[in-house]
Amino acid sequence: MDYVILSAILVGIGIYGLLSRRHLLKVLISIELIAVAASMNFVMLASQANKALGESFLIIAFSTDTCVTAIILAIMIHVFRKYGIRDLAKLAEIEEKDEAALESEG
Amino acid sequence: MIAEIIVLGLLIAACLAVYFDEPVYAVASLAVFFFFTVLLYALNGAGFAAVFTLAMGAGTVSVLFLASEMLSEKSGDEKSLRGFLLAVSVACILVVPPALLSIGKISAGFSSALSFEQTFWNLRAMDIILQGLVILSVAIGVAIILYERE
Repeated sequence: MDYVILSAILVGIGIYGLLSRRHLLKVLISIELIAVAASMNFVMLASQANKALGESFLIIAFSTDTCVTAIILAIMIHVFRKYGIRDLAKLAEIEEKDEAALESEG
Repeated sequence: MIAEIIVLGLLIAACLAVYFDEPVYAVASLAVFFFFTVLLYALNGAGFAAVFTLAMGAGTVSVLFLASEMLSEKSGDEKSLRGFLLAVSVACILVVPPALLSIGKISAGFSSALSFEQTFWNLRAMDIILQGLVILSVAIGVAIILYERE
């Protein structure tokens, strides 16, 4: 139960980072924290129950986590190459400008 | 006592990873976070989980270091010592609830009810094959995202 509390605290820190930070890389780091906190439950609960099944679940969780990281990094690099920005707020401004330009053309 | 110290280090590293504005420092804190996670797993007898976390953490941190070098802004404003100490003290407060419970009771030895190999290949074989397909699809997806038409 104590490790569940620990992972809940880590999830809280990750969610705080997601909500308070606007840098794209910081958002990715917060997602990493949340993913590690979630997978920690598998290992700790299985370890206390003396079963190896949790560790094999961890491998599956890691591959999913790696896929998520790869896609977010790819999107981040694409956005940086195309617009030269690394800030979520500026990305939203660009999107609004694009929509306004489309409306004026239409 | 060792487990409590590791949990304290884990939470301080997590708080600093979120606190630092400079991406390189945040990634360094994330590396420390992974290191303490590996120690925690190893102490609890989850040897394979510790090794896999170490491998995954090393890969993630190196990729993030490269990305942070590319995306970092060279700005002159620095964080104050007060904010740094505040982040560390928040982590120290957060460690109290798990430490007051039974986090120090480390389960000794490796898991023995069913071996890791048996579990991995007999119980989870289909999942592992499907994960391979998922990773292949993701690799194709990333290539499509990064592809730019001249």
